[in-house]
Amino acid sequence: MKRILFIGLLAFASQAHALDRVQADSLVARGVRAYAAGDHGAARAAFDSVSVEYSSAALELNLGNCFFKLGDVAHAILHYERGLRLAPGDADLQANLDFANEQVKDRVGAPPAFALGNTWAQLRSGADPDQWARRSLWASMLFFTLLGLAVALRRPVFRRAAWAAAGVALIGLLLCLGFAWVRHSELRDDSEAIIMAPKVDVRGEPRPSATVLFVLHKGTKVTVLQQDEQGWSEVQLPNGNVGWMPPATVERI
Amino acid sequence: MLVAFLMGAAGLSAQEISFTATVDRNSIAVGEHIRLTLTLTNGGDRFDAPDLGRLVVVGGPQYGSRMSNINGRMSTAVTKTWIITATAPGKYVIGPAKATIARGSIATQPITIEVVKGAAGGDANAAQQQRANANIFCTVDLSKSKAMVGEQVLVSYTLYSRYGSLEPVAYDIPPLNGFWSEEIELGNITLDNVVAVNGIEYYKAVIKRQLLIPQRPGRLRIEAAKLTYRANVNWFGQGTKVEVVTNPVDFTALALPAGAPADFNGAVGELKLEATADRSSVTTDEAIEIRVRLSGRSNLKLLDAPKLGFPGDFETYDPKVVDRIAVTAAGMSGSREFQYTVIPRHEGRFELGPIGFSYYDPQAGAYRSLRSDPLTIEVAQGSGGGGAMVPRTSKSDVLMLDADVRYIRSGDLELRPKGRFLFWSWPWFAGMSVPALAFVLFVAWYRKHERESADEQGTRRRRADRVARQRLREAGTALQSGERAAFYSALSRALHGYLSDKFALGVAEVNTHELRERFAPFHGGQALAEDCARLLAACDMARFAPVEDRPRKELYEEAADLIQRIERTARA
Repeated sequence: MKRILFIGLLAFASQAHALDRVQADSLVARGVRAYAAGDHGAARAAFDSVSVEYSSAALELNLGNCFFKLGDVAHAILHYERGLRLAPGDADLQANLDFANEQVKDRVGAPPAFALGNTWAQLRSGADPDQWARRSLWASMLFFTLLGLAVALRRPVFRRAAWAAAGVALIGLLLCLGFAWVRHSELRDDSEAIIMAPKVDVRGEPRPSATVLFVLHKGTKVTVLQQDEQGWSEVQLPNGNVGWMPPATVERI
Repeated sequence: MLVAFLMGAAGLSAQEISFTATVDRNSIAVGEHIRLTLTLTNGGDRFDAPDLGRLVVVGGPQYGSRMSNINGRMSTAVTKTWIITATAPGKYVIGPAKATIARGSIATQPITIEVVKGAAGGDANAAQQQRANANIFCTVDLSKSKAMVGEQVLVSYTLYSRYGSLEPVAYDIPPLNGFWSEEIELGNITLDNVVAVNGIEYYKAVIKRQLLIPQRPGRLRIEAAKLTYRANVNWFGQGTKVEVVTNPVDFTALALPAGAPADFNGAVGELKLEATADRSSVTTDEAIEIRVRLSGRSNLKLLDAPKLGFPGDFETYDPKVVDRIAVTAAGMSGSREFQYTVIPRHEGRFELGPIGFSYYDPQAGAYRSLRSDPLTIEVAQGSGGGGAMVPRTSKSDVLMLDADVRYIRSGDLELRPKGRFLFWSWPWFAGMSVPALAFVLFVAWYRKHERESADEQGTRRRRADRVARQRLREAGTALQSGERAAFYSALSRALHGYLSDKFALGVAEVNTHELRERFAPFHGGQALAEDCARLLAACDMARFAPVEDRPRKELYEEAADLIQRIERTARA
């Protein structure tokens, strides 16, 4: 048992990287210097090569800013959205995304944001994607310890208290697991996408000659429902409209 | 003599009457003159000019008469001569002239005139207009037919007239579209300049002059104007009413080239910028006048005030505009001065400006930016009006001037391997299962231990019980039989024996002091020692004195219990 655990930990901790942490950190520092000097192209290249192996909300913010300064609003939005998925409710990312979205041509009736949205998002997911997974580990440790105490304690008062505490810990554990599960599926979810082509005709069928239902422009966020073999994607707008877009017009968040 | 005269008269009347029209030449160029002569011989002088069609009379008629006596035959010839010309090439016909004579009338033969294109004589525009009406016409001329938006263009209305006197009745000039215009003062207009157009002499005068500034690019048109005059007004008559319609003029306004500086607002020409302040050191809340003067040749009247861009510590009011602008045929020139009133609200040393202004130079075909020298203003803290007034800073909202994305993050970006999460990973499963397994192992161990310890305790208790029962058997028998002395003696012996066995003491060594020492290491040993001593004392008392303060049964139970307790305690 212990052997399996050890191997598992080893596998997680020491995955071989083409880019080790030291190199990545020096690339990040180079990118930050280039950005400060106004060379947004060089900064983007540096952050980009880091993002091949690593990800973080801050890295996505930096990348988004580089694209924004280079005038590529669609990619800026893509990276801000990616960053927000890693750290929902991040104030900087949200502000920059809102700012970039002002330059997007299409205005689709998105549902109004819930007033508590950001606070709830922050509470629910925090800045660290592994937060709930780690909490679930602590909760399981606490629960089983309390359970052990409840079994071992002799005095009926202590025993009863330990049982009650174990019950509370169990609820906490289940909550942690639930949140971790939701967060995990959120992080894995790549159904949302940003339009990269300057202008896209969204058609009724996945054929170039099909009726054009509506026209979307660069930077608009859509939900990809499915993709066919030719690469056509069926997309949905926040207001519920659905249509097919030709291949290579969107990039998944 | 008289008869002869009468005869002569009769002879004269009987003489042949002829009426001829002759021209000195049949073919001319535009602007050249033809002399048309009508000669009536022996027919009097009652004849007039023929229908000349579109030919124009330049001079005449000149009258001439001739009398001749040939061979005693008298003849008279009356001639009228006109100088005529044509304003455009083509074929013209001089119609038949009619003369009224004693018996009926007589006519001349029509004459055909050929007019060819001549050398360009004078103003082409005037020549064009002349064709419509050779007696009076008006030309509209632009100083240039193409110009940049904002550039100045001069438009002149020139009247050509052959009438001796003219009185204006009405000018119907349609409004200009796409131009900003400024009338140029002409003073008294007199028709005294004589020019020839296509050989015809006219009185010429500029009757209207405007400075035009195109406001938008594209084709612009100056629509035809209708001028009404009364000609030849004199004491005897009203004269004749004449209408003149000018030619519509097309104009092309060119858009200014791209790449205008940010502070360009339509100035075209040639300008200089000068900025002055009426003083350089003031106290707070004291007004300063800042004068920004633009001078040169430009569309000065259309210039907007340049933006000062002063710091927020200054309150800036809308400027007063003072113009010294002359509008002449040479264009608009002079200066426009913007007088800004500025009130500093905070003390300190401030650099105002430089004030910038841009214009387009059509000569060079490029934009030019002007920068004034910065003005340095020293502001001292004012008294704030004196009295008991406490100076108060007026609060104002922070102005958001622009927006930008928030800056990037530096330092530790908390990088993590891409796409790998703790949840549902091997380490997570391991971490989740470790406490569960530990718990299961613990429970198993605990159960076993519990079972074992439960066994041990039971044995011990049973053994202690057995020892006590064995030791107390005699005392029990005596208790059953009710023998008093035997009971106490047996009880005492049993206790002594047990204790001496237990702690390996001699019978004589079993005393309170020794017991205390022996029991000391055990938990609760002190109480046990006391109990033993008390019980032994009670037994001895009852053995040797007839005093029984407690029932024997109770004493027996106490002894049994004590032994059990010692057994349990001393083992543990």
